[in-house]
Parts: sequence; structure tokens; C-alpha cells
Amino acid sequence: MVLGELLPNVNELFEWKGIFGPNTAFEFNKVALMAFVSTIICIALFWIGGTRRKLVPTGVQNVAEAGYLAIEENVSIAAMGDEGRKWTPFFATLFFWIFFINIWSVVPFIQFPATSRLAIPLFLAIVSWMTFIVTGFVKQGPKYFFSNINPSGVPFALKFLVIPIEFFSKYLLRPLTLAVRLFANMTAGHVLLAIFAIMTNELLVKHNSGLYQVIFSPLPFLGLVAFTAFEILVAVLQAYIFTILTAVYINESVHPEH
Amino acid sequence: MRIRSLLLAGLLAVGVVAAMPSVAHAASGNHAEEVFECVEEAIEANTRGNRVDYTGFEHDLEDCKKAKSLVTPALPEIIWGGLAFLIVLAVLMKFAFPALKKGLKDREDKIRDDLESASRAREDAEAEAATYRAQIGDARSEANVIIEDARADAERIRREVVTRAEAEAADIRERAQEDIRLAQERAMSDLRAQVTDLSIGLAERVVERNLDRDTQVALIESYINSVGNETR
Repeated sequence: MVLGELLPNVNELFEWKGIFGPNTAFEFNKVALMAFVSTIICIALFWIGGTRRKLVPTGVQNVAEAGYLAIEENVSIAAMGDEGRKWTPFFATLFFWIFFINIWSVVPFIQFPATSRLAIPLFLAIVSWMTFIVTGFVKQGPKYFFSNINPSGVPFALKFLVIPIEFFSKYLLRPLTLAVRLFANMTAGHVLLAIFAIMTNELLVKHNSGLYQVIFSPLPFLGLVAFTAFEILVAVLQAYIFTILTAVYINESVHPEH
Repeated sequence: MRIRSLLLAGLLAVGVVAAMPSVAHAASGNHAEEVFECVEEAIEANTRGNRVDYTGFEHDLEDCKKAKSLVTPALPEIIWGGLAFLIVLAVLMKFAFPALKKGLKDREDKIRDDLESASRAREDAEAEAATYRAQIGDARSEANVIIEDARADAERIRREVVTRAEAEAADIRERAQEDIRLAQERAMSDLRAQVTDLSIGLAERVVERNLDRDTQVALIESYINSVGNETR
């Protein structure tokens, strides 16, 4: 009840007024701005890092090279083997762009992850979904659509059960789960941080309730600090999960025997 | 080829999402406008000619008051977000990552070349050191041979010198003995003549011409020979 009185309408945490073109299909709001700033950061990072040629990399070059190689090692090769190397640019783009739009959740004065709106996670999930379907079709031809949902070694009687499940799982639920996993985690993190920030503000700044305030007011602040750190972890982890699942799905399309 | 496929996938994704009915709803303006439209739809939906379904209208009105669903994706965000992603994907895959990969490859090649040349240099150095060691070994053995030869020569020369010296010494000794012998003989001869003369003179004085000269000489010779035999 107390929280209900303190907290504003939850949409106020997620709805942003248009910077230009309000109420049109091209309304440019804070989410769009963050997406473009993330794009610029990504391009700047890898452009500067990629064009420097120091034998012992330092600074931006070091970050760019280490980041690229980390994705190659931990996503491309881990999910697809050596063949995955040629997919590294796609996975690295996916990972770093998602990471940068996630990490806005803890950047002071912005504190809002663009992925806590469903639009971008849904778009990325559909990109991932279409990529693994197109790849499967290119690699295996039309038989991919059936062989993908017809696992070998399943008794004939069970196929009536397994094939519909696989169909729903692979063709319908995968993009949905990819999108919802990213969106829900970032939304929950944002709400959690907002709740602790509001509680801290109420208890440390606004209210003056004597001993009660002295005892309890540091708790939400400590929670806020802890959850901010946790949110950084979530930002990295969700970007990694999205990317590695995409790699796993693409690998299934490239190697149907797996 | 791959980048074009991915861009195509991205554009298709935009199309698919844009075609979803819920998205079309999300693009319909600000909150007040949405509530107004919702109320209008509720009136229209619950009006049948002159009859109004107030219960249904009340229910729809409550729905209009509810907050917009968080899981409704907004079309402008999909458009701008999708565009931002496609831009980053195109730029990174077309320009930044190839440059980065080339840098990594160049460095890998350089390190490999450096390691190989270092390995070759080490092998060359080891081969050269082995050659030097062999040359030093040869020089040592050659020096040993020279020293042995020198020793043998010195020994040979020493022996020759000693032999020659011994021969010369023997020759000298022999000559000296011969000289001594000749001198002795000469001395003996001289002595004998002198003793003969002295004895004759002495005998002449003693016997004063009792004996002729030939007898005296024979007597003296006999005496000297007996004396010579005694002295040997």
C-alpha cells in the first residue's frame, strides 16, 4: 500500500515523449536516441580500435580487440566450432549493441535501458529468428523446414507429439522467448532500481521520522547500490545470453545432425 | 553476401513487426488521444440504434482507464531501433571488423614471422657455433700434431747432437791417446838416447877405455831394455 502511494503509474517509468515527430510512426523519443547513441558508441569503439595498428594494443584498440576475440572464443567457437569464426562479426555486433543499450540502465541521469521497451528486443529476436531460418534454408534447402522439427531417433508413434512441439518451439516460440527474456529482465531490473531509488529518496530526503529514519533509511540506499552493480551484471549477461542463443540456433541450422 | 542477407533479414523483421495489429495500435498517438479514441469506440460498440448497453459501456470504459500494456511494442521505436541496429551492423561488418581482423591477422603474421626468423637465426647461430667448435677442435688437434712433431724433431736432433758429440769426443780422446802415445814414444826415444849418451860417458870415465865402443853400446842397450821392461 505504501509503495502504491509512493510509486507513480508504471508507464511513467517507460513512456517517453517524442523529441520530434510526436504521435507519428516516426516519433523520435528517448529510446530511439539511446539506440542511435549506442550505435555511434559501437561504431566509434570498433572503428578506432580496428584502424589502430600498434603491435602491443592499448586503450581503445585493446578493448576492441579483446572484445572481438572474447566473442569469437566464447560465442562463435563455443557454439559453432571453427566454422563459427565467420559469424563473429554478426555476433559481436549483436552482443555489443545489446550491451550498450542495456547499460544505459545504470548511466547517471539516463538510467533507462532501451531494451526495457519491447520494440528493440522484439526486432532483434526477429532478426535472429530470420537469420537462422534463412541460414537453414540456404544450407539445407527446403527439407530444412521439416528436418528441423523432425528429430531423428524418435519412435514413429511419438512423432505426432514431438513434431508439433518442435514446430511451436522452433518456429514460433524462439523469437518470442528471445525477445521476452531480454525485455523482461531489463524491465524488472529497471523497476527494481526505480523502487529502491524512490524508497531511498523518501526515507533519506523527504521523510523525517526520527529514529525510524535513522535505522531504516540506509537500507534502501544499500539495496540501490547493490542492485546497480547487479544490473551491470544483468546487462552483460542478457547480451551474452541473447547472442549465444542466436549462435546455437544458427548452428542448428548449419549442422542439422547436432 | 552474408551482410546483404543479414540486412535483408533486418528489413524483413521490420516488415513483420510493422504488420502486427498490436503495433498499429501502439502507433496511435499520446495517452489522452488514445483514451478519447477508446471511449469513442466503447460508445460505438455499446450503442445499438437507440439502445445503449450501459453495463458493457462501463466495462469498456474501465478497460480504457487501464494503463497501456507494457508488452505492446511501439512502432516508432521499432523503426528507429531497427534502423540504428542495421546501421551499426552494416558499418561494423563492412568496415570496422574487416579492419580489426586485418590488424589481428597482420599482427599474428608478424609474430609468426618474427618467431620463425628468430628460430632460423638460432639454428644458424647453433650451426655456426658447431662449425667454430669443429674448427677449434681441428686447430687443437693440429696444434697437438705440431707439438708432437716438434717434440719428435727435438728428440731426434738431441740424439743426433749427442751421438755426434760422443763420436767427436771419442775421436778427440782417440787422437789424444795417440798423441800421448807418440809423445811417450818420442820421450822414451829421447830418454833412451840421452841415457845411452850419459851411460857411455859415465862408463868411459869408469873404465877409461877398457871397452871398445860397439861393446859399450851393446851393453848399454841391453841395460836400457831391461830398465824399460821394469818401468812398464
